[in-house]
Amino acid sequence: MHIPDGILPAQVCIGGYAVTGLATWYSLRHINRKKDPTADIPKASLLTAAFFIASSIHIPIPPASVHLVLNGLLGTVLGYYAFPAILIGLVFQAIILGHGGLTTLGVNAAMMGIPALVAYHIFQLRDRFGRRLNDRWFVGIFSFLAGAVGLGLAAIVFFILVITTIPSGFDVDVERAAIIGLSLAHIPLMLIEGTFTALLALFLLRVKPALLNIKSEG
Amino acid sequence: MKPRLMILLGLLSVLGVQSRAIAHGVEINYQTTEAIAINATYDTGEPMAEAQVIVYAPDDPSTPWMTGTTDEQGRFLFAPDRAQSGNWEVAVRQAGHGEILSIPVDGEAASETEQAPAPSSETAAVEQTAGRANNLDALSPLQKGVMGGAVLWGFIGTALFFARGKK
Repeated sequence: MHIPDGILPAQVCIGGYAVTGLATWYSLRHINRKKDPTADIPKASLLTAAFFIASSIHIPIPPASVHLVLNGLLGTVLGYYAFPAILIGLVFQAIILGHGGLTTLGVNAAMMGIPALVAYHIFQLRDRFGRRLNDRWFVGIFSFLAGAVGLGLAAIVFFILVITTIPSGFDVDVERAAIIGLSLAHIPLMLIEGTFTALLALFLLRVKPALLNIKSEG
Repeated sequence: MKPRLMILLGLLSVLGVQSRAIAHGVEINYQTTEAIAINATYDTGEPMAEAQVIVYAPDDPSTPWMTGTTDEQGRFLFAPDRAQSGNWEVAVRQAGHGEILSIPVDGEAASETEQAPAPSSETAAVEQTAGRANNLDALSPLQKGVMGGAVLWGFIGTALFFARGKK
């Protein structure tokens, strides 16, 4: 899922940094409007650690091998904190694990971070359905959707980015087939991440609903 | 010819151990003999089977000099034109993952390397492998593990610091 150095042309890398800059500014502005912007930092920091380590967990899905991303999960639980959290996680992944790269940091952050914000809004959508806001079923279903869609969107962006930038000289058809194969392997991963997100959301709902920004248990 | 072959095999086994790291990046190793052998693996240790390879000659780095695909073990062999000394560039790519490797070929020194003592040629090859992005391959799994652990502890420490003021 992470795009390494040297795959994308320079314009795309610069564009990625521009989009990431804007998204970071937008997220930080939202965070700054909260009553206590530092209140959620412990939660964000711990989930950044989880995000950092998640990419090392490989799941073999033939023909490729994919790894957990957890961007949908971060969005679901952290809201606007998810974007800076993913950005910081990616910096450390690039430097320490060699996963992704510094030139493609902007592209990768936009690719995973913006779907995370979308996932957050999907999770919040459950407020519109009936009054039983804290119904376990609603939390479960919407967190599953948020986790799955967050990853799915990131996979689609990855797919579009790499398939439109195949350098001249390479056999386009073969490379395209390989990219499609890898992208299809992300469909089962969507289910896995959705399930994972739903399990975590239901666990938090039972143990400490305040962490999901739900005021009191229903 | 025999000692040279053994060096090649020895290098391959060393590199095989090194490449068993984590993540989805890509690792491309090479050894210089008469020909250049490319060994491309994902850094999970999995070989990049049937990945596309393009070789660019030093005098024209924009048009492909040769194209091909790796075999099932992620290997690719090509013989550079010794008349062209300089950096041969080899690009390996599969499904949006890949890397460009620059291989210095000294045309005139080709005959000298025949007589070069084995250890020096081996260290040269290893050094060039290690000179890749971020020098990450020069680190042992233990070092990487400790670095990862330190980063994790940094995140946890940050969490504890900000959680402290609330109580």
